[in-house]
Amino acid sequence: MRIPYFPGCTLHSKAKGLDYSTRGSLAALGIELTELPQWTCCGTVFPLAQDNYIGMVAAARILANAAKEEGGKLVTVCSFCYHVLKRVNYVIKNNLEARTKLNDYLEENYTGEIEPVHPLEICKEDVGFNVIRDKAARSLKGLKVACYYGCMLVRPASEMNFDDPENPTIMEELVSALGAEVVEYPNKTTCCGSYQVLHDNALVMQRVEDILNSATAKGAEAIITSCPLCQFNLDWLQEKILQENAGFQKIPVLYFTQLLGLALELPQESLGLDQHYVDPRPLLVGA
Amino acid sequence: MAMVLSSKISRELVERIKEISGQNPNLCMQCGTCSAGCTGREFMDFLPRQVMRMIQLGNAKALNFKSIWICSTCLICTARCPRGIDIARLMEALRVINLRQGREVLVAEKIPLELLTQVPQMALTSGFRKLSA
Repeated sequence: MRIPYFPGCTLHSKAKGLDYSTRGSLAALGIELTELPQWTCCGTVFPLAQDNYIGMVAAARILANAAKEEGGKLVTVCSFCYHVLKRVNYVIKNNLEARTKLNDYLEENYTGEIEPVHPLEICKEDVGFNVIRDKAARSLKGLKVACYYGCMLVRPASEMNFDDPENPTIMEELVSALGAEVVEYPNKTTCCGSYQVLHDNALVMQRVEDILNSATAKGAEAIITSCPLCQFNLDWLQEKILQENAGFQKIPVLYFTQLLGLALELPQESLGLDQHYVDPRPLLVGA
Repeated sequence: MAMVLSSKISRELVERIKEISGQNPNLCMQCGTCSAGCTGREFMDFLPRQVMRMIQLGNAKALNFKSIWICSTCLICTARCPRGIDIARLMEALRVINLRQGREVLVAEKIPLELLTQVPQMALTSGFRKLSA
């Protein structure tokens, strides 16, 4: 099965581990991701001002280009890309005025027929967690994992239609299929502070400390996420938190695809495990 | 009961905010659910509930609140509002009015180099889109 794939800006630079591990693990599950022949930045944020059509153009062009490929789907793994592509697609499908304006601008005739999908959905619906359980040659038994969804994957529920907006479980189902132990904790859909890392670092640090502490208090040994910005905020700030709070306990923050790749026995050097600030290898290589 | 605002400036501001956001701020009944769940509440000068009230009153001071720049559009307020108001869109309207007049809080030159070289690209594009004119 081949599906068109949109990596997005960060996956070709700062989050190569997410890109490689997504392609690698899905390939091991029989799904080949074929990168769109031409793509641009998706715009990262969905414009919340009603009159800001220009903020939707980039995503609309990516969707219109994906419609020229076979398959009717577009896979993207970064939470921001997934959020903006899915919401712009929703607008094009349901708002005739927006559709007309965007099509006029792009000189296209795109009506929202592409279905943006997330690799977590592919794992659940196209592959099946039972198949993943059988294919996971390397058991992650005993590893305690907290799943972090953040904000963009699950909200707003009416448009994202991803999972339960307050208590999603799709990542936990995957972790269970891989044989690892799921850690329940209260902060899995609270925001890490996102782009505020550029503007108000103190806010992000407080959010990150809160999220990490709530996971480690429940016994988590690793956190997984699908968002390169969540990953960065949760990972990069740990050293600074430790400097201010000597009792702080560090915890590796990985992409869920890296855990999946490990379980599927992909070559470790292809997973980008060496690119994290808190090194997950001491925990995972022996896991 | 619809609220009647006495000053022309207030009426114009409310209309502008309604036009940009597509939301009706008068639906807010001040329950505070938005403030309770807000990601940035501890760093805000006025909580989302209070921002909503100022919008209802057409008070232009809301445009100068620090809170509107602290909002990270995580949509938790929007998801939980019992009146179905997309509060994130109202916050965006206040930012957009500022930004379209050239007022911004995220200035590229002021971002520390260490941060600039390490953040993922998506933080820069999203940050500039939300906080820079």
